[in-house]
This record gives sequence, C-alpha cells and structure tokens, in this order.
Amino acid sequence: MSRCGRRIPWRAVLPRRPRRASRAGWRWAALALLLVARAADAKPARVVSLNLCADQFVVALADRPRIAALSPLAADPSLSAVAAEAAQIRRVRPVAEEVLPLQPDLAIVGPWGAARVAALLERRGVVVLRLGLAEDFDAILGQLRAVAAALGEAERGEALAVSIARELAALPPSPAPRRVLVWQARGFVPGRGTLPDAVLRAAGLVNAAPFAGYGFVPLERLLADPPDLLVTAPAAGPPSLSEALLEHPALARAAIPRARIDPAWLACGGPQTMRAAAALAR
Amino acid sequence: MTASLGLLAAVLAAASLLVGAAGLGVPDPVILWEVRAPRTVLAVLVGGGLGLAGAVMQGLLRNRLADPGLLGVTGGASLGAVLAYYWGLAAAVPLALPLGGLAGALAAAALVFALAARAGTGAALILAGIAVAAIATAAVAMALSVAPNPFALAEITVWLLGSLEDRSWRDAALAAPVVVAGASLLLPLGARLDALALGEATAESLGVPIAATMRIAALGAALAVGGGTAAAGGIGFVGLIVPNLVRFGVGERPGALLLPSTLAGAALVLAADIAVRLVPLQQELRLGVLTALLGAPLLLHLALRHARLE
Repeated sequence: MSRCGRRIPWRAVLPRRPRRASRAGWRWAALALLLVARAADAKPARVVSLNLCADQFVVALADRPRIAALSPLAADPSLSAVAAEAAQIRRVRPVAEEVLPLQPDLAIVGPWGAARVAALLERRGVVVLRLGLAEDFDAILGQLRAVAAALGEAERGEALAVSIARELAALPPSPAPRRVLVWQARGFVPGRGTLPDAVLRAAGLVNAAPFAGYGFVPLERLLADPPDLLVTAPAAGPPSLSEALLEHPALARAAIPRARIDPAWLACGGPQTMRAAAALAR
Repeated sequence: MTASLGLLAAVLAAASLLVGAAGLGVPDPVILWEVRAPRTVLAVLVGGGLGLAGAVMQGLLRNRLADPGLLGVTGGASLGAVLAYYWGLAAAVPLALPLGGLAGALAAAALVFALAARAGTGAALILAGIAVAAIATAAVAMALSVAPNPFALAEITVWLLGSLEDRSWRDAALAAPVVVAGASLLLPLGARLDALALGEATAESLGVPIAATMRIAALGAALAVGGGTAAAGGIGFVGLIVPNLVRFGVGERPGALLLPSTLAGAALVLAADIAVRLVPLQQELRLGVLTALLGAPLLLHLALRHARLE
C-alpha cells in the first residue's frame, strides 16, 4: 500500500495507485473494449455503472432509460459531478445481490471494489468494461471514447471528446507560472503525476507539492513556505476535524491567496474535470 | 516541589513553541502565534485539568486507581463532544462543543460518584468505573461509525487517544473558561480531602459535608476534564499517573497533591505533545500513546522502588 493509503476514506474515489498499475488497468480496458466492440451494434439496454468515475461518463453518454443503475456515490453532491441527474436514477452498491436482479447487459467498473461482482457478471455472460485510472486528460478522453463505444454511442462520445479537447486548447496561457498547492482534508496533497496535477498544468499553473504521487503537507510547513495560491475543495456537508483544518485561522492571518473549487471536480477524471481547469485558469 | 514542577512546565511550554513540522527553533510569527501558541496553551489546560481531576478523584474516592480515563469521565466527555461536533451543533453554536464535552463528562462523573457511594469497596468502584469507561469508548466508536461525514471514522483516534494537532485560538478560547471553572472548584477542596482521608465518619465529625463535597468534586472534575477533552480528545493515563508520581515528592496528604498534580499534568501533556511532533511520521502520533509511554514506565519504576523501600 502506498504511503498515502492510510485511513483516507477517499479510497473509493481518489485515483492514487502507482502509474504502472494504471497502465496495466488501461490495457485491460482496451481488451474489454475489443470484446465489447462486437456486441456494440445492438446497444446495451440495461447498463449498470459500479464506480463513481464511470457514473459520470455513463450519465454524459447514455439515454436515461438505458441506465439500470449507478453507484451509490453518484448522488453525493460533494463527490459527484452528476449528483442532480443521479438523484433521479436507481443506485446500487457493487455487490452481487444488488446488481444481479437488475439483469444488466453491460457493467462498467472502476479499478477498485467491484472485482468480484465483475467476475461474477462475466461468468453469467454480461459484458464488463473495466476502467483504469484517469490521471491526465489523454486518459480521460480515452476512457470517454471507450465508454461511448461500449454504450454504442461512439458518435456522441466523439463529439464530447472533441469539445473537451477544444476547450482545453482554448485555455488562456497563464501570464506568470504560479505555484499552486491543492490542499485536501487532513492536509492530503496530490503531487506530480496525479489528476489534479494534470488539471493545474492544463490551467498553466505549477504544482507546489514537493513530491510525486499523493502525500501530506502539514499546516506548519504550508505556512513556512506558502504557495502563490492555495486551492481547497470544501464540502458543504457535515463537519469533520479533517476538513476543519482547511479553514484554520492561521491561513487567513498569513494572507495566503485562496481558491475554493467544487470538490466533485477533482474526485474523478471525467467530462467535468475540464471545468476545474477552466476555473483555475481564471 | 510545586515551584520546581511549575518551572518544569514553563520550560516545556517554551520548548513547545520551538518544535513543529516547520522545523526546530523560532518559526515565522504566524506559525508561532497562530499554531504553536494555542497548542501550548491547550496542552497546559488539558494536562492541568486531567492531573487535578485525577488527584481530586483519588483523594475523594480514597483509591489510587481513580482516574478520569479509567472511570469513564474522559470517555463520556469524548462522546458528548463527538455528538455535538459531527452532527453540526458545534458549527451552529460554538459553545456546544465544550458544553457537549461537559455534559458527557458530567453524566459519567455522576455515575461514577453514585457508584462510589454504593460500592462500599474500592474494587467494586474500579470495576464499575471500568464498565462505564468501556461503554463510553464503545459509544464514541459507534457514534463515529454512524456520523455523516466520511472522515469521521478516521478521526476516532483523536477522540480516543487525544491530539492537539493544528488547534487554533478558537479551540483554546472555548476550552479555557470551562477548565478554569473546574480548577477553581477543585483547588479549594484540599482541606476537605485531607479530612476525608481519615474516613467519612471522621471527616463528617470534623464538619466536612460529604454529599456536598462529592457534588462539587464531580462537577469540578467534569468541568476540568470535559472542557479539555472537547478540544483535544480523550488523553488517557494523565489523571492516573500524575498524582501517583507527585506522591513520591510531596507525600500522601491528598490536599497537598492538588496544585503539584495540576502542574505535573500540564508538564506531562506538554512533554507528550512535544514528543509527538519530534517523531517523523506523515501523521502525528496521538497523545495518549505518548502519555502512556512516558508516564507508565516512570510510574512502574517508582512503584518498584517504593515496594523495595517498604
């Protein structure tokens, strides 16, 4: 387990596996895609998404009647960029007893949690698309196209991918490269090679995290070497000590410039990630 | 003894200002005043409250094992604070946090003192107190398991073992009046505790109102422990170890233990809080780990020496 793996309840949503594992997962996705391609002329009619990141692609690409269920986190506004849409759609936990009765013909799973139920579904002849980790925009666009192909919505997927790529290219160049720290609950920080790092780069900013992968930057060290901009993603939900840290009075006293963004933008690589880059570029 | 303990606490408080994640030495003024100073003040409040409450409870219950942690008062305070915090009450009414801690501590203290009145034997009291502590600890774990925030369960270590990481003046300002009120109730009890050491009948004949003293002590201990626990979580062992350590210096008279135990409690929590910052981990060790590791071997050493002398 990586050093950031301790007691972080974001386990289900935050991409934080080493990149090698991500590439391996990616190959699996491509393999699954080949398998899916043959069945794709008949569009799957009962699609189940068992992962928050997959939910956002499915909601963006599939017509509502074809979505049999999304993952439980899909309707959580502090994590999901499609919470409003998902509230109208059935949600199931990634366990066999909840998924099987839906009789899905396509299941989309992420890198964690649903491995057993995915294997079970495959044995029963259900097409399973496994998504790896999207830690940059290329991977997001690749996953978007893979999900679109599996759904039989290749055209819709291509249109969305082209519009995201166009928006990315249109981001204004940053006047001066500013050092930005993305500071999450408990001082958890995404470093080089992570999705938020890709978002910062897309926005023309420099990640101030002194490490690759994920780690912690304590309050004192943040104050001793403040970034030009401190980005937090406050959740509006019930309080916790971990998140209270993000509003410690010392930050205001040190007058560190702050930007607060929607926490759902960084939880997953997806169509919404573009919005984070656009917001930070401003 | 009192003067040297005061000096020790002062030295440790100064050292506490010079230690932290930003490095050793005098830091940037914002770090010094907004991060380390409130943390140091809270360590003094929390440790002093626990040391004093432990000394009073041991004197009153005439039992050297009486400790706010062992008897469930700290656990009750954690539970009250957890309920007030994670369901948003403390965000709406800031005072709800220390008052929640106070209410939990008060309920546990009332239960323990009621048990003491009934128990008859010291062993029965300790057994009953341990049961209260176990229920309180389980209830804290239960409350954090069902709390609506996804981080709540990970914060279980703070509430069960204690932490002063990244506390602010807001936390210190909320805890201070509660702990100081508790101390002002407990510190004047010295003469009554001395009389009680002779037995309840003798104390009563000396004019000590037993029931009223119990009530004042329970309220004072709940205030002194509840206010600090609401800010720092439940730090164990301080109330147990400190009075027993202080006895080696100032003797057995319960009344003479109160002020030295307050100072020694502050010194122990300050020392533990310095130590957790010196251990290079991504996430700080919890205070209860250090108070037990620092205090218990010292207690063991002194207890063995004491046994040899006898």
